[in-house]
Amino acid sequence: MTIKFLRSKIVEVEPKPDGSLAVSWRLTDDLLKAEVELTVQPPELEILEASAKLERFLPQGGQDAADIIEKIEGVSIGQGLRKIVRGLVGGPDGCPLLAEAVLECCNAVILHFTRPGIELGEGITDPDEMLAGIRAMVQTNPRLVRSCISFQDDSPIMKGLNL
Amino acid sequence: MITFHRSQIIGAEFLDEDTIRFNGIQEDHIYGMEIAMEVRIGDGEILKIDGNMKRYTNFVCPQAIPVLQTAVGLSLREEGWDRTVMREIGRKGCEHFAEIVIECGRCLDQALMSRDLAAAVKEDPTLDQDAYLSARVT
Repeated sequence: MTIKFLRSKIVEVEPKPDGSLAVSWRLTDDLLKAEVELTVQPPELEILEASAKLERFLPQGGQDAADIIEKIEGVSIGQGLRKIVRGLVGGPDGCPLLAEAVLECCNAVILHFTRPGIELGEGITDPDEMLAGIRAMVQTNPRLVRSCISFQDDSPIMKGLNL
Repeated sequence: MITFHRSQIIGAEFLDEDTIRFNGIQEDHIYGMEIAMEVRIGDGEILKIDGNMKRYTNFVCPQAIPVLQTAVGLSLREEGWDRTVMREIGRKGCEHFAEIVIECGRCLDQALMSRDLAAAVKEDPTLDQDAYLSARVT
């Protein structure tokens, strides 16, 4: 059976020599082609620059994408980000697709910082040491608590942590 | 050098006039997941869902696979369906499964428009595609 609709989406994070992070988000499907580029500055993770380009059949707000996306310049990736981004970029007068693209870019930045810690844990084979490593990660990343099944209160990882 | 990359691919097949099947794949430097789900076109209800967890970060993660079944019966036409998916599939199961289910859901209307546009263009190769799609969304 042939596919009647196909969507491909890519998000990439690339550290630049000046210490900033270049984030590139692209979507292409049968009806839409969209690109979002962000420059994010650690350690505050402030979005310094944002640009967007939409082609083919444009969704709500698509005609004004270049102007709408600029509203997130100055926002930092942190607590309350979803509400802030959806408020600035999404909504009835905005472009909800761009809001979700920005949030996916920000999530990719967080995963860029998460990856080295996960890679460090890969060398551990002792189950107790592995469990201790995961617990240490939760203690230093409280946002993980109850974020998924692994970090729910009844998970073997969380038992005894009192978080 | 790229330090984090995520690719997501969603494909839509029409099994019959009222059933669409989405196949979603998400691969990144950390996780590898797949979702297959069937949706009734008439009301957007998820009829069937399966997930495959290829790469994950700890021994508890695979317990999220059966949690996927809580999506069966959920309608992609309900207000806030995406938040429900993130809460029920993501928080109580796996956030990355939820991300794929949400992307599949976002593709429902696009897939229908794409199918219908392709049929209309086949009927009339000179069709004004922008006008046709604009009329569909207004």
